[in-house]
Amino acid sequence: MAKFKNSCIIDDDPISVFGIKRSMKETNFSDNVVVYTNGQDALDGLTKMIDEGKKLPSIIFLDLNMPIMDGWEFLDDFIKIPNTNTDKVIIFIVSSSMDPRDIIKAKNYNMVNNYILKPILRKDLVRLMSELDIKQP
Amino acid sequence: MDTTVHTIPIQEAPIALATVDRNFYFLNCSDQWLEEINLGDKNIMGKPIYEVIPNIPAEFTNLLENCLTTGNIQEEELRHLSPEGSSAWYKWRIKPYKTSNNTTVGLIITCLNTTNTKRAKELLRDAENVAKMGGWDLDLITNTVYWSNITKVIHEVPLDYEPNLETGINFYKEGESRKTITKLVHNAIMYGEPWDTELQLITAKGREIWVRTKGKAEFINGKCIRVFGLFQDIDDQKRAEIKSTQIQERLDLATSVAQIGIWEYNVHEDILEWNEQMYELYGVKKEGFKGVYDTWKACVHPDDKARCQQEFDMALAGTQEFKTQFRIIKPDGSIKHIKANAGLFKDTNGNITKMVGTNWDITDQINAQLRLDKNKESFKGSFESSSVGMALVAKDGSWMDVNNSLCLSLGYTRKELLNLTFQDITHPEDLDKDLSHLQPLLDGTGDSYQIEKRYFHKTGRIVYVVLTVTAVKGIEGNLSHFISQIMDITPRIEAKKKSDQFLEITKNQNNSLLNFAHIVSHNLRSHSSNLSMLSNYLLEEEEENERKIIERMIFDASDSLHETVEHLNEVVQITTGAQEQMREVDLNNSIMNVEKNISALLSEKNVECDINIDPKHKVKAVPAYLDSVLLNLFTNSIKYSSPLRKPKITVTSKKMGKNIIVDFKDNGLGINMKRHGKKLFGMYKTFHQHEDAKGIGLFITKNQIEAMDGKIEVESAVDKGTTFRVTLNAE
Repeated sequence: MAKFKNSCIIDDDPISVFGIKRSMKETNFSDNVVVYTNGQDALDGLTKMIDEGKKLPSIIFLDLNMPIMDGWEFLDDFIKIPNTNTDKVIIFIVSSSMDPRDIIKAKNYNMVNNYILKPILRKDLVRLMSELDIKQP
Repeated sequence: MDTTVHTIPIQEAPIALATVDRNFYFLNCSDQWLEEINLGDKNIMGKPIYEVIPNIPAEFTNLLENCLTTGNIQEEELRHLSPEGSSAWYKWRIKPYKTSNNTTVGLIITCLNTTNTKRAKELLRDAENVAKMGGWDLDLITNTVYWSNITKVIHEVPLDYEPNLETGINFYKEGESRKTITKLVHNAIMYGEPWDTELQLITAKGREIWVRTKGKAEFINGKCIRVFGLFQDIDDQKRAEIKSTQIQERLDLATSVAQIGIWEYNVHEDILEWNEQMYELYGVKKEGFKGVYDTWKACVHPDDKARCQQEFDMALAGTQEFKTQFRIIKPDGSIKHIKANAGLFKDTNGNITKMVGTNWDITDQINAQLRLDKNKESFKGSFESSSVGMALVAKDGSWMDVNNSLCLSLGYTRKELLNLTFQDITHPEDLDKDLSHLQPLLDGTGDSYQIEKRYFHKTGRIVYVVLTVTAVKGIEGNLSHFISQIMDITPRIEAKKKSDQFLEITKNQNNSLLNFAHIVSHNLRSHSSNLSMLSNYLLEEEEENERKIIERMIFDASDSLHETVEHLNEVVQITTGAQEQMREVDLNNSIMNVEKNISALLSEKNVECDINIDPKHKVKAVPAYLDSVLLNLFTNSIKYSSPLRKPKITVTSKKMGKNIIVDFKDNGLGINMKRHGKKLFGMYKTFHQHEDAKGIGLFITKNQIEAMDGKIEVESAVDKGTTFRVTLNAE
């Protein structure tokens, strides 16, 4: 059985999504992975899950630079979803931006667990899992 | 008739004597009688007395009757008044003439004409009354004091008052006066010294008066038996004298304090008299002063001498009042300015006898005036030559005087400005501000203020100034007018505007540089990270199909990288070297050309175009950029048109100052401005789910417009439409 039952990737770059998925597979990270290509789609999808009484993904990899609704806007709206389960979701920002302004801004969001620079490799997920073990035994 | 009567030679009697019978008919009279009564008709015998004696008063008849009835001697002095008013006094003495049986048979009358002595007495009495002069007498033998009535009146005691030496002396005012009179009386009695002095007396009614007392002693055998003298009320004179002394003293004090010199010139004798101040004014010693006209003339400044002489002569001739100013040179060499006035005294024949005048040192005033003149002159000088605009402004705001700098700043001639008020040329938005600052000065609660404001130049352009207004007050402290300093800061403001513009551009360029750096960091890195990740996978992957997928992705990533590099290069090209390619472009032509180029697309999408551009509107632009901007705006409108409506594009233009504003309006999907407003023009920002949305068009558009010194703004409402407003330079 994988580490997480459900994971979510929100990223408009197919190559990036491919990379994450591949690394997940190699590390047996998640049983199911749901992918959204922008913040709005993700928000709609997640809201629908809540409405249908489905369990939210345990972990979300969120890209910042996306059309329609970017990562920041998604975060802003995600907080507002009236569901107690949302705060149990672990969110990682996954971006190619090394801009310090983005990194600092990310730290201001409590729900954001960490900021990971692209590309996401196997070792990133391995480290991530071991860190989460320490925090959630 | 008794014959003995006839035997007495009455006629020869040495006095005026007459006899009458019981019926007052003349029996006889002496020659003296006729003379004394001074009768014209000497024949009076047998005539009644009333017919003979002229102007007999009624009392005389009483005398005669009394004498007859009582038989006593009657004596009376009577006044005989003529119908013409002249009078004579007679002293009558009447005695009955009796027979041996004691029967009165007639009267013997003597008469003395006392008119002259009576008159002398009356005169004396009148004189005493008029002079308020009384007499007094101290009899040292009987030790009694006699006061005449006048003396009593002066003491304000009743006429039956009986004084003695002690009470007499005690009427004198205690102190100096009483001490003096005691000593004087003592000296008169002891040494026979007479006195004549003025002392103060307290009357019985308590009034304090001045009296003149005069006395001398009478000695018999070396012993003083009597002291007597005169006593006069001189209170009025004395008081007048004291008052006059006071006035004189006051005048002296006034002239001394005011430093007014007073002089008196006796014309005929050439005597010049000066008061103390004159000596001080002229710095001349009183001792060596020769009081003649030439002495004065010698002191007068040589330059003023001839004029003064002329004015003095004209005054003496009566042709002109002596009222002049001149300079004098004091012995120490200093120069004083003197103001002189004089009046003339004439004798009863109208001849000028004296000239009396004043001299007044007005050196300080003259110097003050000179300084004032100099100040005025230097104010006038600095007013005229100041590089700052200056003006004297009346209370109603009209210009009283303006200097050249102000005329230059405002573009009006002096004459034109003087016909205007400051309100006329003040920018209407600044007028209330100026007036509200001015009000305290008009109310007297403020003295000055400084504001920045705008005037209109004669040509209509705005003149920026720093205005300083100061209230000028008159001698009475009332507001007289204003002095305005008007510093033209238009060049400064223009420079500031320009530097603000540069600052804005710099800020924008900085922003775009930062944005650019971010883009480079993000967009290039996203591709490079993909490439590196994929390369790693490729190395590990052995499965052929999977390797094919990865290779495909590597191609895609490298294409994207190439594309991004191209885009960035395009942006770099825009921001460098745009200025050199700027030229005047016909806006309408450009828009029409672009529309023509995409006419196929427009008709395919069934777009309605309403282009309404003023053919006169020309803009400064890089033609290729302008085409690119317009193309991008057209295609954007088509790309994001609403499927619910027939697409419509409206393009209009208007001129605003130096700018042409182009409004590019559509009825498309619209953009959520609240959400996307900030990043609308950012690179790789897209807001719609559209296969062609790359997020590069508006980024390039904005960069191109800014490279042409223009700007682009946007207004939009979701599902209503979007308006892009492009501002470009017209010249």
